[in-house]
Formats: sequence, C-alpha cells, structure tokens
Amino acid sequence: MKNNSPFHQLRSASPALTRREFLWRSGGGLGGIALASLLGRDNLLAADSASNPAMRAPHFPPRAKRVIQLFMAGAASHIDLFDHKPELIKRDGQKSDFGEHVEAFQDGLGPWLKPVWDFKPYGQCGRQLSEMVSALGPVVDDIAFVHNMVGKTGVHSQATYLQATGFQLPGFPGMGAWVTYGLGSMNDNLPAFVVLPDHRGFASNGPKNWDSAFLPPQFAGTAIFPGRANPIADLMPGKRGDFINTRSEAATHELLASLNHEHLKNRESDARLDARIRSYELAARMQLAAPEALDISKEPDYLLDLYGIDRTTKTWPKEINAREEMDAFGRKAIVARRLIERGVRFVQIWSGNDNGFPRRNWDSHEDVHRDHGPLAMGFARGTSALIQDLKQRGLLDDTVILWTTEFGRMPSSQGGKGRDHNPYVFTNWLAGGGIKGGIVCGESDEFGYKPLDRANPTEVYDIHATVLHLLGIDHERLTFRHNSINRRLTDVHGHVIKELIA
Amino acid sequence: MRTKQHIDFFTTPCGSGIDSALIAILLLWCIAAHARESATNLWSIQPLVCPNVPEVQSKIVDCSNPVDRFIEAKLESKGLHLSPEADRRTLIRRLYFDLIGLPPSPEEIETFIHDGSPNAYDKLVDRLLASPQYGERWARHWLDVVHFGETHGYDKDKPRPNAWPYRDYVIRSFNEDKPWPRFVEEQVAGDVLYPFTRDGIEALGFIAAGPWDFIGHAEVPESKMDGKVARNLDRDDMVANTIQSFNSLTVQCARCHDHKFDPISQEDYYSLQAVFAAVDRADKAYDFDPAMARNRARLDRAKKNLETERNEIRERVRKRAGDALTKLDAAIAEAEKASKKGDAFGYHSAIEPTQNQIQWVQVDLGRVVHLDKIVMHPAKDEFNNIGEGFGFPVRFKIEAADDPAFAQNVRSITNFADADFPNPGIKELSFSVSDIAARFVRITATKLAPRQNDFNFALAELEVFDTKGTNVALGATVDALDSVESPPRWQKSNLTDGWYPGAVTPESAELARLKSERSELLGSNTPSDERSRLAGINLELQMLADEDAELPKTHEAFVASVYSGSGAFAGTGANGGRPRPIFILNRGSVENPGKEVGPGTLHCIASLPARFDIPPDHPEGERRAALAKWLSSTNNPLTWRSIVNRVWQQHFGKGIVETPNDFGNMGGQPSHPELLDWLACEFRDGGQSLKELNRLIVTSTTYRQASAVSNERAASMDADNRLLWRMNRRQLEAEAVRDAMLSVSGRLDLKMGGPSFQDFVIEKPEHSPHYEYELHDPDDPASQRRTIYRFLVRSQPEPFMAALDCADPSMQVARRNESVTALQSLALLNNSLVVTLSKHFAAKLERDGGSIAAQTHRAFYDAIGRPPTEEEAAQLTQFATDYGMENLCRALFNLNEFAFVD
Repeated sequence: MKNNSPFHQLRSASPALTRREFLWRSGGGLGGIALASLLGRDNLLAADSASNPAMRAPHFPPRAKRVIQLFMAGAASHIDLFDHKPELIKRDGQKSDFGEHVEAFQDGLGPWLKPVWDFKPYGQCGRQLSEMVSALGPVVDDIAFVHNMVGKTGVHSQATYLQATGFQLPGFPGMGAWVTYGLGSMNDNLPAFVVLPDHRGFASNGPKNWDSAFLPPQFAGTAIFPGRANPIADLMPGKRGDFINTRSEAATHELLASLNHEHLKNRESDARLDARIRSYELAARMQLAAPEALDISKEPDYLLDLYGIDRTTKTWPKEINAREEMDAFGRKAIVARRLIERGVRFVQIWSGNDNGFPRRNWDSHEDVHRDHGPLAMGFARGTSALIQDLKQRGLLDDTVILWTTEFGRMPSSQGGKGRDHNPYVFTNWLAGGGIKGGIVCGESDEFGYKPLDRANPTEVYDIHATVLHLLGIDHERLTFRHNSINRRLTDVHGHVIKELIA
Repeated sequence: MRTKQHIDFFTTPCGSGIDSALIAILLLWCIAAHARESATNLWSIQPLVCPNVPEVQSKIVDCSNPVDRFIEAKLESKGLHLSPEADRRTLIRRLYFDLIGLPPSPEEIETFIHDGSPNAYDKLVDRLLASPQYGERWARHWLDVVHFGETHGYDKDKPRPNAWPYRDYVIRSFNEDKPWPRFVEEQVAGDVLYPFTRDGIEALGFIAAGPWDFIGHAEVPESKMDGKVARNLDRDDMVANTIQSFNSLTVQCARCHDHKFDPISQEDYYSLQAVFAAVDRADKAYDFDPAMARNRARLDRAKKNLETERNEIRERVRKRAGDALTKLDAAIAEAEKASKKGDAFGYHSAIEPTQNQIQWVQVDLGRVVHLDKIVMHPAKDEFNNIGEGFGFPVRFKIEAADDPAFAQNVRSITNFADADFPNPGIKELSFSVSDIAARFVRITATKLAPRQNDFNFALAELEVFDTKGTNVALGATVDALDSVESPPRWQKSNLTDGWYPGAVTPESAELARLKSERSELLGSNTPSDERSRLAGINLELQMLADEDAELPKTHEAFVASVYSGSGAFAGTGANGGRPRPIFILNRGSVENPGKEVGPGTLHCIASLPARFDIPPDHPEGERRAALAKWLSSTNNPLTWRSIVNRVWQQHFGKGIVETPNDFGNMGGQPSHPELLDWLACEFRDGGQSLKELNRLIVTSTTYRQASAVSNERAASMDADNRLLWRMNRRQLEAEAVRDAMLSVSGRLDLKMGGPSFQDFVIEKPEHSPHYEYELHDPDDPASQRRTIYRFLVRSQPEPFMAALDCADPSMQVARRNESVTALQSLALLNNSLVVTLSKHFAAKLERDGGSIAAQTHRAFYDAIGRPPTEEEAAQLTQFATDYGMENLCRALFNLNEFAFVD
C-alpha cells in the first residue's frame, strides 16, 4: 500500500516534532499511530519512522480494500423497492392500524398503501425485487439485504448525518474520512476519498456529510462533478486566467520551485515548507490524472449501454424521467469504477439532491410513483452495471458496496399517493468484498413498519462496524482524540454482523 | 439471529463482570470512576494564586519583561536560553499579521527599519493596537471559538440576514478594549445586566451563534420526539458554547452520563441547560439609542399595566356574573364544538416554488344551469401565521363552460388577471352573472398566494346560485389541476361541503345568540364607574399604540431571545417566557426523562455556588444573569486561565495549554503553569484589558526572538519548541492570505461593519438554498473587503477559504487546522479570486510605471515584505519579461514566503 497521495501531505512544524505533535493532537491512540505511520511511509519523516510502532497493516487480514457507498438522499422506500410485503397488498386501502400510537413526521397515517410496483423473484436466491429495481436482478445473488435497520430520527438532516457520519449532529467525520484516515491512500495523484454528488446539487447538510471534521483535513472527501468544466474545484484556471498557458504554467512551477528552495535554505528543519513545495508538484500531477480518470469517452459502447448512459440526447424533458436518471447515475457509476481502478479508497455516490420542489430526491411525500420510479430505475441500472463491471474485472472481491438512505417510508399512505418518513425501519444492502450474497439478514414486520424482532434491530453502527471489519479494521480501535474523547465512527456502539460475512 | 449485548457503561458496578468480554470496559469504567474521584485535583480549577516571578541567571538576555523570566528560567533549568532577536524586517511583518492581520507596506517597513528612536518597537505596537483593523483581526479568533455562522446549517440551510450585528459587536468590543468580564457578561445576559444598551442585545448573538435545525424546530412541534430531540441538542450547543468558550471544559460530555474524566455531573450539565431553557435563536428588535430603548420599554410597561387593570376589572365583572356566566360559557363551548364542522378547511392546490404558476379548481354542476351568482369563500389556516384568506389567489379569473377541459366555448365571468387582488380575509366575494348557462364553473389562479417561501391556491367554499337562488354547487363534484389531498382539512370535496369560516349554520346562529346573551350579562354586571374606566383604558391603549407607531424603526439582530410564534416553532413567548422544564435525561434520551432540575452550573469551582439563589417565578433572564456573574467572577479561575491561554496561542501559534477548549483531565497540561497563572492574575487584577495583555506579550523578548533554529542542542532537546527557545514560524490563516492578496493588489476596501458581503449567488432560495460560489464575480467591489465580513454559510463552505483551513462554523474551533495539500495549491493557483487579483496587482504595478525590472522589484517587496536579492530579481524579471506581470503576480501569491511568517 502506498501512502504518498497529495492528500497525505501533513502539517508539521519541524520534521522531528511532526510525529510527536500528531501523536499529541490525536491523543496517541491507535489512530494517532496509524497517522504517524502514514507520515513515515510518506518519507516526510523517514528518519523518525523506524522507531514508530505504526499500524503498518490493518488490525487483521482484510477482505476488502475499497468501499463504494450509494446514498439515496431524501429517504428511499424499502417497501416499494426491496422489502416485499404481501400483507400490504392484501390490506391496500384499508384503514391503517399499527396497534400502537405512531408519531408520524407529517400526516402520513392514511390507509395502508400496497407497494406501488409489482415484485418478482430474481436469481438463484429468489429474492423479490420491485419492477423498478429489476435491473438488479442479474446481481441479486451478490447482495445481502438488511431489512431491519432502525434510525433515531425522522428529520432528514439529522438522519443523513447519522448514516453518513454515525452522529446526528454536525461536526463529525464522514465514513470515508474515517476509512482513509485508518488505511491511507492507494494512489499518488488522486484523492483517497471521492464524492460524486447528485449532478443537480447537494443533499441535506451538503459537503458536511463528507467533511473531515476533527480529523486532519486531508481526509475530507473531495467532491467531483464529472460533467463540469472544473470537475474538482480549481483544478484548472477558469476563463479569467486568459494569461495562463501551458508554457507559462510550466515556467511558473519552475519559478516557484526555485524560489521556494532558496527560501528553504536556513529553514530546512521546517517540514511544512518542503511539504508545500511537493504539494505543487502533486497538484500538477493531479491536473493530468483527474481528467484522465473521469474521461469515459474511450469506454466501449456495450459498457456505456450497460450503465444506461445516453450518448445522443442533448436536452431532457422538464419532468423527472427514467432515461435522464439512468444517464446521470450511470455516468457516476462508471466514473466510480474508473476511480476505484486508479486506487481511490472510498467513493460515495449520491442519488437525489435537497428536499425541494419539484422533487428531485427520494422524499416522496406526494407521489411515490412519480418520483421514486425514475430515481429507482436510474440508480438500479447504473448500480447493476457497476457490480457486473467490477466483477468482470475481478474488483468486486475486494470492493464493498453499501447502499443506504436516511430512513424508510411508511406502509400507510400520505395524501393518497405518497408516503411519510419511517425512521422505525428501513433497508440497507451490501455486496462485494467479503459479503455473503443472496441473503437477508434481519427482517421487518409484515407491514414494513418496524423490525420483526424489535429487541434486535440493526443500527448504522453495526453496518459501519461490519464494513470496517471487512477492511481489516476493528471499529473500536480506530480512534481519534478530540475534546477529551477518543472518538470513533461507531461512537460507543456497533457490532460486526457476522452473518453478513461470507 | 444475533443478539445484542446491551452494556450499560455507566451503571454497571465495578467488579460484577459476568462476561469476560466486559472486562476491558469495566476496567475503563473503574479508571473513569477513579478519575472522577481525583478530579478535584484538576489543575485548572484550583484557585488562582499569583506566583512569584522567577529569577534568571543570564546577564545577556533582556528579561525586564516578567514573561521572559518565566520562559528563560525554565530554559536555563535545561541549560538553554532564549534565541537572539529577529531583525526589524521580520518583526514588523510578524507584528502586522499578528495584531491587524494585514501585511506592512514597503514604506512602513522602511520607516520602521530606519526609526532610530529607542522606543521604535513600542511605538509600532501602540499604533497597531490602536488601529481599527486590530479589532477585525482579533474578533475573527473569537468568532472561531464561538462557531459564529450566518446560515442555520443542517437541511434547508437558510440564511440569517441579521446575524452580522454580533460580529460587529465583537469587533467593536475588541477595538474599545472592553474589560473582559463585561464582554463575558454581555454575551450571556447583556439584555439583563446592561439593559437598554445596543451591546447588551447584539452580544446575545453569542448564544445564537451555532447551528440550528430548522426542520427539527420549524416543521416539528415540541410535542413530538423529533422536536424534543432537536431542542435538546439546541440547548446542548448553547451550553457547550458557553462553557467551552469561557471556561475551557468539555461540559457536553455529561449529556448522557456524568463526565467520565472531569468533575462534571449530569445534573450540573442539565442545570446549565435550564439556564437556556426559555430562549431560542431568533431575530430580535432593538434600539441603538438607550433613550429610545427606555422610551419603548416605558410604552410597553404602560401597555401591560393597562391590560392588567382591564383584566382585573373584567375578572371582577365575571365574578359578579357568577354561575349564570359559568353556565353560559359552558353552553358556548358546547355550541362552538357543534358549529365547527370538523376541520374541513377547503381545497388546497399543490405547493409551487414560484408564484406565477397556474392552478385551477372547478365544479361540475351535473347539468347545464342558468347561472345567477358565484360566491367565493376564502379559507383560513394558521399555517405560517397566515390565518384568514389563506391561499387566496393574488390574481384569478372565473369562467364557465360546458366542456370539462375548458377547451371550447369558454365564457368569462370575471377576470382579475391584470392587477393584484387585495386579500379579502374571510369576507365572501360575490360575482353576479347574467346570460350564462353552463355545466362547469372553473376558478383559475394566475398568481398564487404566498405561503412559506412557496405558493399555493386555497379556497374554503365555492357556491354557484341558479336563478332560483339555490346553491347548485353544494355537494357537486370538484376537479382540480393538482390538489393536495390531505383529509380532513384539505381535500377537493371540501370546496362544496357547505362549510367555510364564518358560515351561518343553525349551530352558528345559536352560538351567536349565546354570545350576545353573554355580552348582555357582562354589561349588566359592570357598574358605571368600571364601564367608564374600561372606556378610558381602551382610549389610553389607543394613544399608546399611536405613540408607538410614531417611534423610529427598530433594528434587528439574530440573537438568543424569548421567541413568540405560532405553529411548530412557538418558542416560550406564548407562555410568558417561562423556561421549559428541564429533566435529567437518562443516557441522554428524551424518551427517558428523570428528575427535573433548576438553573445552575458546575460544582467544581469550590468558591462559587453551583446552584443559583433566585426566587421561583423569576424572569428567565435572571438565570442567564446568574450564570454570567458566575462566569465573570474573579473567583472563577477557569475564566481567567482560559482567555490568557487563548491570547497566548494567537501570538505564538500554540497555547501554554495546547488544548484551549479542554482544561480537563484528558486535555493538555500547561507547559508553563506558573506563567499561565501569573498572566491570568495580571490580567484579572490589572485592568482586564486584552490590549494590555497583547502589549505585554508582544513586547517580550520571547516574542521578539528569531524563528530560525540557531541552537542545535535546543532543537534536539525540545523539537516541539514547547519551551519557546525560538519563535514559531506561522502559516498565514485563510483570512490573512485573502486580505493580504487584496491589500497588495490595491483592491482592499477597508470599510468596516454592516451586512456581510456574499461571495456566492443563491439559487432556489425558496426551499433549500443553493449557495453557488462559482457564479460570483470576484471583481465585484462589494466583495473586496476584509474577509471577516464574508457571509458564512454552514452547509457549503466557500471552497477557496475551506482549502486554506478557515474555521468551520459548525464546530467550535479552538485552533485552526494547518494543512498542506494539493487541493490548497490548486486553489492558490487557479481560484478565480487569485487569478483576478493577479491581474489587478499587475495593473497597479503598470499604473505606477517604471521598467519591468522596477515593477518586478516593487511587486516582490509589496507581496513578500523585502526587496528581492540580485539573483531573485534577475530570475523574476526574466520571468515577467517572458510571461507577463500577471503571471509574475500569480506566482508571488503562491510562494512559501508569502504564506509563512518567520
């Protein structure tokens, strides 16, 4: 594993004190040692790293090296996509009765509402999938479903934070930040943690969902918008930089290197200055590497078709539609594969942006059919292609795929065609690196209202603990000292779900 | 199926381990318990006793400043000494960035270098401390700590257009060198302790500085669990902000259980929540002028007194009316229930993001009818305080047709499509029709009614009368373009159900009769003197209202205040500002409330009472005032240690305690505990002036040392420089980088204060605003101000500032990150601001004239603070000749020497 990515150029006051300072700032926990080892391997601290009992390998042999997290913003309905509920079909239209007081987020306690689409069995395992996600049929035997997820809140922002960072409040690092903090990068010219937001914009909380918070800033997710002129912020000078050309750029880098090296004389002990010189070299490398990684023009047609990428349509209808959603998600999915191939550790793909109108996310209070339909067909097509593509390249074995959302939706209707929030139960699913495919691990009750076994639900901490486990990390030992507390992704919770592991 | 081990960390007794897997946890618990026991030994809570200033041996080092004697004495004990003084060029650049956050001009540098007077340095310090830019520089440090932001954060990250007065308050306070205790008190209880002052209100922006969950407050009422969670976390933020900022303890660790390492009980923590239990984050009206504020308060008081008197008279009357009134009131209540036709509000269109969307609703009369009159009854809904006339279209038309699609033979009945229609409240609107026979009647809203950052069309009832005077629409089928079906309140069929606000039904006629009977009863029980007094009171109230209307407009600031609202976010205003009851929450869960607690604070400061001796039924502000006094007390050692450590950190890059927000057992230990205490005592007992503290520190020999490593032995013994045997080299903060670039390129507008400039364009403001930084024009002069005046968005940080490690307003930042990353290099090379300012810098140089060599020389001096060496000059001039001055300026902004201060 290499760790000399540009995102691991760390601050330091002098070479010798860097490690000490880092250990101090991170409380000297395992996390701190892991971090120091990154520095050691980065040769910034070569002299000092020999004496450093670093986390040179993960806590135990990993099953996977990388993660692709798919986040459905706005709360995707488990009932209409993955969690088949015949009882609801039977009782469709009847007055809903939960047998207890239910606190709905809005007024979504109308009559029972059957799944908006028909379900059919797929694969060897015979898992039932909704018509809208039938594209996942060919890969359903790779997927393990967790239908008994429970949340803590029906408020989008808090719930998004909870699934993304393990905490309901702002100020905590995203899962990808923790993973790259623990394992470092595997490439030397791209970020270790990349986020592909919905092309329309950010979901609840925006970039705070992939922030490094109290972890060192180089572990923050880097947002990439593949379609934009500058897919990474400030990757290239914009149109205002008309005085900049290839020659001037090369000369500028040369001038900077020369003057900075001159400045470094008599200041050699300050590792930050040297690191900064190198950060300009790395920036130049990334300017070449990133566009190459994002360029899908050389991908074969059959593969672009598999991902649902449309190469002809220039303008899309105003109304939400499946073809456009497939194209948008497919482009992110194939870019995710290209990034993974190039050593990116953690990719997070978002489907859906904020909770505004008209709906362009999964918050279908008004009309599940209208809004869930295109979004589901979009993500399912791209995701199925991604899984098949990774498998064919032998990358699925060590890449964990995690599908999540902030909470589920109620089995009762809201305003006839919509569904209200259901933080009481929802679905996650995993595939790839070390996951046992074709199984269900944890079920919801006959309505999809709460877990079948209410005493033993699955929480986000368990999912996070399991993914870290697959990466060879003990979730209780990946810590960072902040404000007196050895912080963990899983707070004081979390159990590795052994049943999920092949 | 796996089962879960629910381990109760905090109630499991030591030694009862039944599962070997628990041992580690139990051990931790035991350590924690031990830590709590010994926690009273915690260094930071010990009383402040002024230590003696130590003697030093060295005859070479100037230790006339007591600060130096603490530092030198410790160095001498290791056989080390302070380093030699830095040169003047280095000192002036260091002082400028440190005290005002801007670079010195070449002229200022030359003047200082050539100032032969013995007090040249002191004069420079005086000048910088007196500069208005000092407050702008030092306010930013405080705003980091208190996590000041100008949007709510979370989902639907709405702007706070009135948050900036707090920022200006902080700048003003630093520039005025406000005594620290007053600064502390104003921020927690300025409205109570310094009533009628501008500062006393604006300072309360401190409590409101942090994020706020808009959905959890404004869309979920306090009665729901999600609403309770949101409010609990909101108070948690207030408590953490207060105690961490002023006292450097991590009190928020006691939300779910007693603090594991520090002497803070869960009860202490919730007592602190109780201090803030009545306030919310909201806009508050106030006056700058104390006389005006007093006058307004006088009017309010007079109004309240009159209202009280009126209520007393009414109460006496009610008593006299006795049983008859009680019976009548019961009958009225009964009749009101009967007359209320459920909650069938009416028809409600889909909610639209823009106002000029079309929405229509129509009735099918079942057959062609000769129309005589159309009557519209507006709806009523207290949503967003709208009430009567809710959803009534601003522009609309009424049409009749026989074709349900209204495609052919459409006849117009009335059309208000060209001018706005004033909202009628719930007054019915009647339109007579002549010579029209039709089966369908359609109302089309062509301009919707504003709702809450969005728009709709709603109507309670539509009546269609035929020539016989029969409402033929009653019970008719209703169709609409897009209707919100949310029974019972809103559904299409409500439009023809015969009920609307104010509808006269047999039940409502009975109600009216009872009400008139009631007013007669009250009248007959009101003697003439009281009757005339009531009339007098009403007259006086009217006069007060008139006087109030004459007063100048108030200002608005986003601060902590008792909020009065209706709907989900009600605040405590309706309850007279009575604090919400606060319970100890078991494991921090709102579903498990334990004992109720009153207002209080931490027990660990032995010399100060931890529970506030204030009478029951006190105004809520008394709670905050008591906490403010506790915080500002000369007997609270944390307050004084905390602030002198923060100031020290800003001057040296590291605090004497390296965890400025955590003076607990898990935080850092002071490197120079005696110095910390001496500074705290000096500050507390010597005028409580921050500027004097700054002066004391920056005039020390310690501060004036060179940053170069001149002593290899020191470097090997103390590489971290904890002992301060040299000055620390500093990386410029994001604000200093941006301000310096603006300054040297001649574009910095030093205008102070006022609303923040926005370096983004807001798209989709009506729901979840998108802050589009790329759409901003960096050439907009309004944005070329000091960075402290930048509008701070929580959910989407500005990419350039974020790459340079600006503070994240979602968390309390005690110390900035200092990173070196490739993304930072890209930002400094390519961000549109840098590119734009490179052009301005080049244009300025060109305007000032001279050869390329002369321009290059000046550019380098402006940016770096020294003339280039001969070699550098040759290299730079060649570059400028080959690639132009713009490229040269861009390169200068990217030099290490630009970004670091020796």
